[in-house]
Amino acid sequence: MSFLPYALAAWLFFVGLYGIVTSRHLVHLVVCLGVMQSSTYVLLLAIGYRTGKKAPIFTSGVPTKVGAVDPVVQALTLTDVVVSVVASALILALVIEIWKRSGKLCRCSAPPCSAQPAISCPHGSTTSSRLRSRQP
Amino acid sequence: MIPLQVVAIVLVGLGGLAVVAARDPLRQALVLGVYGLTLVILFVVLQAPDVALSELVVSTVAFPFILFTALAKMRDRE
Repeated sequence: MSFLPYALAAWLFFVGLYGIVTSRHLVHLVVCLGVMQSSTYVLLLAIGYRTGKKAPIFTSGVPTKVGAVDPVVQALTLTDVVVSVVASALILALVIEIWKRSGKLCRCSAPPCSAQPAISCPHGSTTSSRLRSRQP
Repeated sequence: MIPLQVVAIVLVGLGGLAVVAARDPLRQALVLGVYGLTLVILFVVLQAPDVALSELVVSTVAFPFILFTALAKMRDRE
């Protein structure tokens, strides 16, 4: 196995990290976190891969003569895929709570969102003022 | 290292870049579905068909559904 899948895992990790650092929108940040998590799938599968071996599915009950790639890391990857979407759902629920409380979704804290017309921010300060006025 | 693996790896690399580069979240959810499909191709090529099946369901149905639900919930109270 060459270095290419490992390089892909590192590439996906740093691309996702770049997206998280430069993100202006909280939902965009969650999706970039998903890209970062997908680097772990590639890393795990690259560790278990053996050149020329088949998938670890034995229909006859006994391993074939060709041999199979490592099924343990594939089970780990399967768990990783399911857990990552659950974690993303949890973070999205937190994002909805943040939006309910502050009324905005962008991470520009010092200047208000409406002061930066170049960045698309559909939920400006008007929503937060309306929410605030609704509260007793 | 067969050529199909190299092609799949390059596709996944470009897909990840496209997902991060899409700044609008609604558009990004669609790009994420396509990126998940490239990941499915890579997993099949890496001899992991069961992981590919679960990734197919998660990345093209479950995760966009969750994203759209969250975006719709935050839109209709504007």
